[in-house]
Amino acid sequence: MFRLLNAHSTGYDERLRRCATARVRQVHVAVARLASISSRAALCALSTVTLVSAAPIAANLGRAATPAEIRAWDIDVRPDFKGLPPGSGSVSKGQDVWEAKCESCHGAFGESNEVFTPVIGHTTAADIKTGHVAALRGETVPQRTTLMKLSQLSTLWDYINRAMPWNAPKTLTTDEVYAVTAFILNLGDIVPADFVLSDKNIAETQNKLPNRNGITLKHGMWNVGDKPDAQGSGCMKDCKKAAAIISRMPDYARNAHGNLAEQNRIVGAIRGADTSRSAATELALLTKGASSGNGSMANASSSERRGETAAAANAANTAPLKLAQKHACTACHGVNNKLIGPSFTDIHNKYGANSATTLAAKIKAGGSGIWGSIAMPPQAHVPEPEIKAIAEWLAAGKF
Amino acid sequence: MADPMRIRAQLKGDVTEVRVLMAHVMETGQRKDSAGNVVPAFHIQEVTATWNGKSVLTAQFGPAVSQNPVMNFSFKGGAKGDKVVVSWTDTKGDKRTDEAVIS
Ligand code: HEC
Ligand code: HEC
Repeated sequence: MFRLLNAHSTGYDERLRRCATARVRQVHVAVARLASISSRAALCALSTVTLVSAAPIAANLGRAATPAEIRAWDIDVRPDFKGLPPGSGSVSKGQDVWEAKCESCHGAFGESNEVFTPVIGHTTAADIKTGHVAALRGETVPQRTTLMKLSQLSTLWDYINRAMPWNAPKTLTTDEVYAVTAFILNLGDIVPADFVLSDKNIAETQNKLPNRNGITLKHGMWNVGDKPDAQGSGCMKDCKKAAAIISRMPDYARNAHGNLAEQNRIVGAIRGADTSRSAATELALLTKGASSGNGSMANASSSERRGETAAAANAANTAPLKLAQKHACTACHGVNNKLIGPSFTDIHNKYGANSATTLAAKIKAGGSGIWGSIAMPPQAHVPEPEIKAIAEWLAAGKF
Repeated sequence: MADPMRIRAQLKGDVTEVRVLMAHVMETGQRKDSAGNVVPAFHIQEVTATWNGKSVLTAQFGPAVSQNPVMNFSFKGGAKGDKVVVSWTDTKGDKRTDEAVIS
């Protein structure tokens, strides 16, 4: 969804932003029945055109969006910091925010590679001077951390403001976003420990970003007429033959170390094979995934697993499952499969039938260290009766 | 000299929780470079921690520990304002010592 884009695609980033703003405007335009369409809106092409030309038919539909509605939607912050609300936050307040709301997924020092690639790492004092991250060029660093890629501080602020914490986006106050952004910069040794980031000094802080000069604009992503930024080198003749698999683990041994798919992160390119299935089934899925475009094996199997999850829930027990979906428990828990947290089945098997009260308390308080190193954030925002219903459902184990 | 460690020491009830991030390449001695030569082992070997001068942790690190390792540990006692000092020594004899105040 909203990901910090690498330097190359910053043009794309900016265009998305323009498009988003134009859409806000377009709702206004269409509903207010003005006939003209701004050149900005033209960037978003089709949807805009359709809406405006359909205006006469839709004349009696809807109402003008209120300024408050538009404000709630139009929250983007641009590279020149247009749209940035005034406010400030210190590194030390940012550390409090980080420890309470971010660390469980991103690690105490932003170093964790468990839920997503690390936020911090592999930028140097020399990079801060030049504005180019040396590690982006060599092959010594296998991954790109956020601070390696980031060329515009507005993007970091905007991203955290709209998308983080992952399990409760848009819950941070403006000052908390400033503070936690300052803390991230301090973890990257970009600002000192006593630094206070604010709308007043954010532009000069931008000038310290390690990858601030890593941005390129001379490519088709930025200007439609320019060259594409990727050179295809697709083979047209005498191409290498497709690799053939000539040996594989025998089925009885595939799962000897547990299901590899469950032991890998569920985001990112590196996935394990689903060793709970026979090699033949896995291969069939792989081929199916490949023939439907670029769908990887992991995608095919995870969506299929989700299908199983839904099918496994029998009709009488869908109400608690719906609650678990409503409160995004299922973002981290599958009924039968481990995601970020343990599967509901494993939880049931561990705690048994008389555990409803224990489980309710655990859900409310969150916890860590029982199933692995990733913590579960407290779920105290879920109404008490709904926690109770989910806990009883987990204890009953009739999924 | 190696980059400083980042250390956080926090009192939670009667337990002090310490988290340390060390900056080190932690070469295992088992990798080869592009020319096929073994990259020699070079990693942190010993880590020690003291609280107000008293030893609270000694750890032996080997080649299985990751680059830029993060280490968490906790000990009973400790009060806000006390000092926690962490040191490491690597296979070349380089040392690094940093400290944090319990908060
Ligand atoms: C429940 C787990 C979780 C929590 C808590 C969380 N994050 Fe994230 N964070 C993620 C995931 C997963 C992604 C990747 C999302 C994606 O790309 O769609 C991410 C992405 C990010 C990124 C962008 C990384 C990049 O390079 O694209 C930043 C910055 C970030 N988080 C900061 C924060 C901050 C600040 C907080 C606390 C206010 C926070 N996160 C809390 C899981 C979490
Ligand atoms: C951001 C991811 C995330 C979300 C959202 C989440 N959980 Fe968890 N949950 C976890 C993790 C990780 C663990 C394992 C924690 C551990 O190892 O102690 C866990 C553990 C649990 C446990 C077992 C606790 C124990 O001590 O053994 C229960 C029960 C549970 N979750 C229920 C829920 C319910 C119900 C919801 C929704 C209201 C929910 N979880 C939302 C990640 C999450």
